[in-house]
Order: sequence, then structure tokens, then C-alpha cells
Amino acid sequence: MADDREILRELWEGKIPICFQLAQEEIYTVDQPDPFFLLVPRLSYFPLVTDKVLRHMVKFVEQESTDEMWLEYEGQPLKWHYPIGLLFDLYGHQTELPWKLIVHFKKFPEDELLHCPNKEAVESHFMSIIKEADALKHRGQAINNMQKKDHKALWTGLMNDKFDQFWSVNKKLMESSGEDAFKSIPFRIYQVDSIPIQKLFKPTDDNGETLTLRHLLEFLNVDIALSPELSSHHVITQGIEPPLETPAAWMSEHLSYPDNFLHICLVPRTENES
Amino acid sequence: MSEGEEKTPDEQGIALPTQATANELIEPEPKSESPQSIASPDTKAKFNSKVDILLKPAGDAPIMKKKKWTVDRTKKICWVSDFIKKYIKNEPSESLFLYVNQSYAPSPDTDIGSIFDCFGSDGKLVLHYCRTQAWG
Repeated sequence: MADDREILRELWEGKIPICFQLAQEEIYTVDQPDPFFLLVPRLSYFPLVTDKVLRHMVKFVEQESTDEMWLEYEGQPLKWHYPIGLLFDLYGHQTELPWKLIVHFKKFPEDELLHCPNKEAVESHFMSIIKEADALKHRGQAINNMQKKDHKALWTGLMNDKFDQFWSVNKKLMESSGEDAFKSIPFRIYQVDSIPIQKLFKPTDDNGETLTLRHLLEFLNVDIALSPELSSHHVITQGIEPPLETPAAWMSEHLSYPDNFLHICLVPRTENES
Repeated sequence: MSEGEEKTPDEQGIALPTQATANELIEPEPKSESPQSIASPDTKAKFNSKVDILLKPAGDAPIMKKKKWTVDRTKKICWVSDFIKKYIKNEPSESLFLYVNQSYAPSPDTDIGSIFDCFGSDGKLVLHYCRTQAWG
């Protein structure tokens, strides 16, 4: 796995420029708030990077009736517990940059979003997904053999943008040689307006042949009805469209988010593209 | 639970504002093991929009008289959690934690079907519930 380390670094440094604007109908003051610009890491989560946005915007809304802050893109509330890069690939793939998001303090969409009381909620969500991923890859053995401080290093590494700290521990979770070979690949497939798809998928078939991204999508075709040759959709993860012949195991080791899952988006091609 | 005669005093006492919905969607388990349950989760899933879940207490959580329920695949974890809370009469202020595989707590918006496909075995999905964090 060490061979392609520069890819890990490259992904870690991926950032998205975002323009935050307060929802027009929630502005309470005579002064109009300036938009707020941030360059945010793709691998992070909104509650970890939007403290400044909150402090800037909250001055312009009616204090007595504010909810928890939440974000919207073109009518779509954004789930804080998805990595930012995943949200962008899913909803903002073809948008102009900076990505224009609307900030809200009212009418929290209870049906669509989970509440995020604090950063600890993000941490416990993040650790849960890592545990789930390791349950799929190593039947939980790698994560269970770690000490509490290693778990903490994964989280603080992500939160404080410390690549080496994060990877010094994460490499144990990505161990895939010999007995540690992944039992199955932790992945989720996302499409706008439908729930994510997650199933068991082994990195090799019964004959030991390597399975690829194409195999993975074909395996799921019952659920997602892609066109032949899969040309109807962009298959995007980490902001790129990997070749369909990429081995699934390689993807899992190199293109997973810090939560150890591959988050793959299927975005329909528009007519003028094809 | 959808059959009147099955109701125990325990169950009647549950204040379920959504009782009608709950009754529609959670069904009593079949009286006998159906032969289908030996099929792999995947095969079964293709033919069935519902899956069996087995609810087990952990820590000091009270036991549920009826443990096995049939749930729509599209139901979310938060829905199951609300259901258990009502069943064991949790105080609204008390929290409830749900665990898969005795290892991780799924996100409340995860659908049961996905978890069943990945972690179900012997035709059912085991979920542990407790009032305090049990695993991690």
C-alpha cells in the first residue's frame, strides 16, 4: 500500500472554495451581511470548519428564534455527517466555483438532517463509521487491537489536518496483505434523491480474480439500473472519475475517505455532455 | 403486536402516538421458523421488502418480551430506536444506543436494509440496545 502514498497526500490536500451566504429571508438587521469565503478540506466535515461562518452570520439574525445552523445548496439541505467532498461530488459536481451555499438558522429540516450538538457528535459518528469499515474489512480485528490513544490520533489527525498523525494509525486499518486481506470493501453509492446503497462486496471473486469498479457497479445494477457501458452516469469519488477497470481493493486502500469508506457518487450525464 | 389477542398488559400501556403506523409496519414474527430464513441474506433480500431483526438488551436495559420483529427494509435506525424506547417505556429524556455486531453504532438515518445486507446472518439482523454507551 505504501507505493502510492503520494495519492493519499494529494487527496488529503484537496480543498473546495465555498461562498457562504445567509438566507435572505432570515436577515433581521438593516445591514446586509457580507458573504463569507472559505477554502475547506474535502475530507473534513462542515461542523469542524464553519465556526467562523456561524460567528459572522449569527449577528444578522433574530437572536430569540434561532435554531442550530444548517446549510443548503439549491434547496438541498446538506448532511453534516457526510464528508464535505462527498456532498460536493453529489450535489455540486457541475457547479461553478466557489460553491455557493446558503446558511440557515431557522426551520431546521428535521426530516432530512440530524442534529449536531457539538464536535463530539462528529467524533463519535466518525469513529462509528471507522469501526463499521473495519468490521467489513477485518472483522473488526484491526480496530479492536488498537489502543484508545490510537483511536484518538485518527480523530485529532483529521480535525487538526495532521496527515502523518492520521496515517501513522490509519495504515494499520488499511493493512491488506496476507491474512489481513480485506474480507469485503466498505463502500456506499450515492445518488441524488435516493438512499445510499451499501452491500457486501468482496475484492476478489471465487476464483481469486481481482474485481474492479466496473464489477462493483454491475453487481449493484439491480438497484441502480445503469445504462450499458455505464455511460449514463459520471462515477465520481474524491472529485475524480476513476477508470472503471480500477481494482476495488486498490480503491479502498487509496481513495477511501478518512472514515475508511469509499463514497462513490453516480451523477447523471446531462444531454449536452454526451 | 398487530393482533389484539397478543397484547400483554405491558404492551397496552405503551403510549404510542404512532401506534397505527407501528402496527402496520412491525409484524409479529411467524409462529414457526420459515424455511426461507436459511437462505443467505442477499438472496432473501431480493424477494422480500422486509427483514427480520432481533433486539437484544445490553447493560441495564430492560429485556423486551418480544425480541424478533419484521421490519420494512427502508425503515431507518432512528425509527427502530424510537420504537424500542416506547416499548421499554424509556423516559423521553433517557437516551438509547443501538449497536450492530456488538461493535458500532449506526447513524440514525441508515436504512435497516443496508445494515441487514452487510451484517445480517441466518436470515436476521441482531441489534443490541442499551441506555449508556456500551461499545466505544
